[in-house]
Amino acid sequence: MDSPEPPPRPPLRTLLVRNRKRTVLGMDPQQVIKYFFGLNASTAVIVLVLIMLFLLREGIDFLPTYRNELVTYRRAGLEFCDIIDKPLKEHQSLSSSLRQSVSGSLDTLGKTARDRRDAAFLLKNQAEEKATQQRETLEQALEQAPPPAADKLDILRREQQKAAAVAAASLVYPDLFTAAEKQQLQTEFAALTPEVTDLPPFLQTLAADFTAKDHEARTKFEALVTAQEEFEEAPEGLQEVLDELKEHAQETKEKADEFHVLETNRQRLLEAAAKAKNADEKASLTEEAEASVAEPVNLDERTKELTARAGELREQLENYVKAAEKASASLPQEAGTSAATTMLADVRAKLPVHVQEMRDAALQLDQWRSDKPVSMISVIAAFFFGSQWITNSSWQDFFGFVPLLTGSLVIALIAILIATPISVIAAIYTNQFASEREKEIIKPIIEFIQAIPSVVLGFIGISLVGNLIKDFSEVSWLQWVPGFPIQERLNMFNAGCLLAFMAVPTMFSLSEDALNNVPRAYIDASDALGATKLQTVFRVIVPAGISGILSAILLGLGRVIGETMVVLLVAGNRIAIPDFSAGPGVIFQPAHTLTGIIAQELGEVSRGSSHWQALFMVGIVLFAISLLVNWCARAVARRFEPHKA
Amino acid sequence: MKTAITVILLSLASALTSQAQTTLRIRGSDTLGAKLVPSLAEGFKKQGGKVSFDIAAEGSSTAFTNLAAGTAEIGMSSRKIKADERTLCRSKGIAINEIEIAWDMITVVVNKNNPVADLKKKQIMQIFAGDIKDWSEVGGTPGPISVYTRNTSSGTYKDFMTMAMKGREYGSNSQKMAGNEQIVSEVASNANGIGYIGYAYSGSKGIKVVSIDGASPNPAAVKSYVLARPTFLYTNGEPTGTTKEFIDFCRSPAGAAIITKAGFVLVN
Repeated sequence: MDSPEPPPRPPLRTLLVRNRKRTVLGMDPQQVIKYFFGLNASTAVIVLVLIMLFLLREGIDFLPTYRNELVTYRRAGLEFCDIIDKPLKEHQSLSSSLRQSVSGSLDTLGKTARDRRDAAFLLKNQAEEKATQQRETLEQALEQAPPPAADKLDILRREQQKAAAVAAASLVYPDLFTAAEKQQLQTEFAALTPEVTDLPPFLQTLAADFTAKDHEARTKFEALVTAQEEFEEAPEGLQEVLDELKEHAQETKEKADEFHVLETNRQRLLEAAAKAKNADEKASLTEEAEASVAEPVNLDERTKELTARAGELREQLENYVKAAEKASASLPQEAGTSAATTMLADVRAKLPVHVQEMRDAALQLDQWRSDKPVSMISVIAAFFFGSQWITNSSWQDFFGFVPLLTGSLVIALIAILIATPISVIAAIYTNQFASEREKEIIKPIIEFIQAIPSVVLGFIGISLVGNLIKDFSEVSWLQWVPGFPIQERLNMFNAGCLLAFMAVPTMFSLSEDALNNVPRAYIDASDALGATKLQTVFRVIVPAGISGILSAILLGLGRVIGETMVVLLVAGNRIAIPDFSAGPGVIFQPAHTLTGIIAQELGEVSRGSSHWQALFMVGIVLFAISLLVNWCARAVARRFEPHKA
Repeated sequence: MKTAITVILLSLASALTSQAQTTLRIRGSDTLGAKLVPSLAEGFKKQGGKVSFDIAAEGSSTAFTNLAAGTAEIGMSSRKIKADERTLCRSKGIAINEIEIAWDMITVVVNKNNPVADLKKKQIMQIFAGDIKDWSEVGGTPGPISVYTRNTSSGTYKDFMTMAMKGREYGSNSQKMAGNEQIVSEVASNANGIGYIGYAYSGSKGIKVVSIDGASPNPAAVKSYVLARPTFLYTNGEPTGTTKEFIDFCRSPAGAAIITKAGFVLVN
């Protein structure tokens, strides 16, 4: 380490340097500059720490607050009612199947009549819509006070008649009607005027036809119709008792809440009184504070009144179960259509399970204790594994995180599955095969995608992509695709497509960098061994850059999970765990996301409430997921890093 | 929202031309703040009111937080003030004064091609609570029902729950939309859609108003319609100065005309 002696400095420079050697706040200027740069670099770290602290400060109280709410939920007896209420919901779903089965059966006889009626009414609407402008002018003229001159009205009437006639002639009359009927409909539509509100005679006949047919069908399927009605009415007695109990429980909860609110108010008013400068103001505030005293509620007394009726509840429950079983036994084996018959069989199969659940619930009533403590673990489980996110409820708010998480994950997965091949292949092409000129075009264009504001993409998703997917799903030769035809244009697939588009620039640039970083020597060695270009790319360059590509994918995932605007606008905002029994078609269902729920609900919740804290908890989890993804990306990059040659 | 922004821009522009103006800050419900109050503000200025408006509509709850913080002269709300909000304001030295401004009718709409034209109140409850899942159950063309609701922070969300659903929860199949316009466009594009909107939006394209137990929302018979509700303006104490002028304008015949035009209903 014997470096040569530095050449002697010229006197002028020595002078200058010495002159500058002043101290700032007792520090060398070099030092100051170093600290200044260091400070800028550490700002990011400091801000990150502050964000974490802020999130934690707002969110950390969530668990105790939610626990208190769950304690009230239990002590006021709401939980007691839910023991019966929850399994009873299945009755509605079975009822729904039966109703569908009935209407399917009735359709076998009444469908033509109904279709004819519906088609005629639809045509009437279309006819009216086509002549809207003239109709509205006439309507407005008729409503005017004082009414316009008769001749003016006549002109308007004539114009309206003309428009109606044109509209009636331009309609396409379906072949449900005979030629004569089509003619009659056209005549009637041409005569439509806003001054007559009665239905034209032929439409009336059609409506009457349907009623007659419907009656006939109801007689034919009488057994089914009666059984369905009996089943529908089966829980009435139980429901009545349950509703009374629910009302009681809710009243208890409201009283407890009211006491809490009044007590806080009193404190608040007293505080304000202490601060008030004006003596009168002070007196009036104190007076109000005194008036805000509330009686505490004796929760135990009130829940005892609930549990005292457990016997009655059980009795009604047994009645319900018997009535339901009886109705189910009297269901006919055959319904009008095969789909309806399948539904009947389905109801028959599900009923024993439902009955068992109801009976289990009756047993649980005895074991239920209002003073059983709510453990912290069960609160944590209720948040992280809860399947219900119900807020602003008049019964009980539940903050279960699973529906949001599944929504976010499914959307992210769709996005990554779409974006990965596109961006990686594009990166390989640009890096290895493209000419310099092509590179100059491709790179800036892909990177420009990042500059598109996500709200703009959201609008594109609503107005363009959604309709496109929906139209595609209705194409007849594509019906083999699971989930087609789709019903909702706002769904997870739509959001996933847009997010994939947003993730492409990140993934493309990073993958391209990774390929660039493959040591030259590897490529040269491969060339020297006589490998073709393709062999070099797929056997040497891609495997060597795989760590970078994987971390690019992970960073893309991080970008996708954190994206808010697009999912809020496009994902459909349905807070329910997607129905995975639909197979791959599940991607065409709407969902809600972690980011979307924060954006949608944070705006209006009152600060410090459990809902507010729950949203911060979601934020914390989101933050943790992002950190985890980024950490994974770094870990992957390190794990597979090629040894630099 | 768009109108609100235009109004803010307009008021900014007019503030530049004549400096000697006061500003009325109005905060609260988006049912009122999206269409009605901005057009009232415009009308007020047209007839010579020397004032600039600053309107932000982010939901009824924000009316009271802003009044309490002294950052608004007028609060708009599609529901009555809650007891705890009243005391919150009181503790900040603000005496809440309530002014009923107009009635709104929540209108249930379906796709225009849906043959269903009338629903029973119970059926509406069952549809929105998720009990009825298929249109064939209420006499329509078979197909799964898509339910569109407002989001949880909306006053309409809660009002519909109490008025139409006996306080029951929305079914988990419901989709929460940010505003009336979005519900309209989704119902218009989905043949199996159903949703509810403010009466002011019921004339939109592609949708059809459903009557409830035979009664259609009708401005002439507001109180007999099951889903009608009053909307309010709130001020700090008895209104004075420009605030009073503006409120008086809202209750004048000119104001009444604007209210009716915006799709709200006056009830005396």
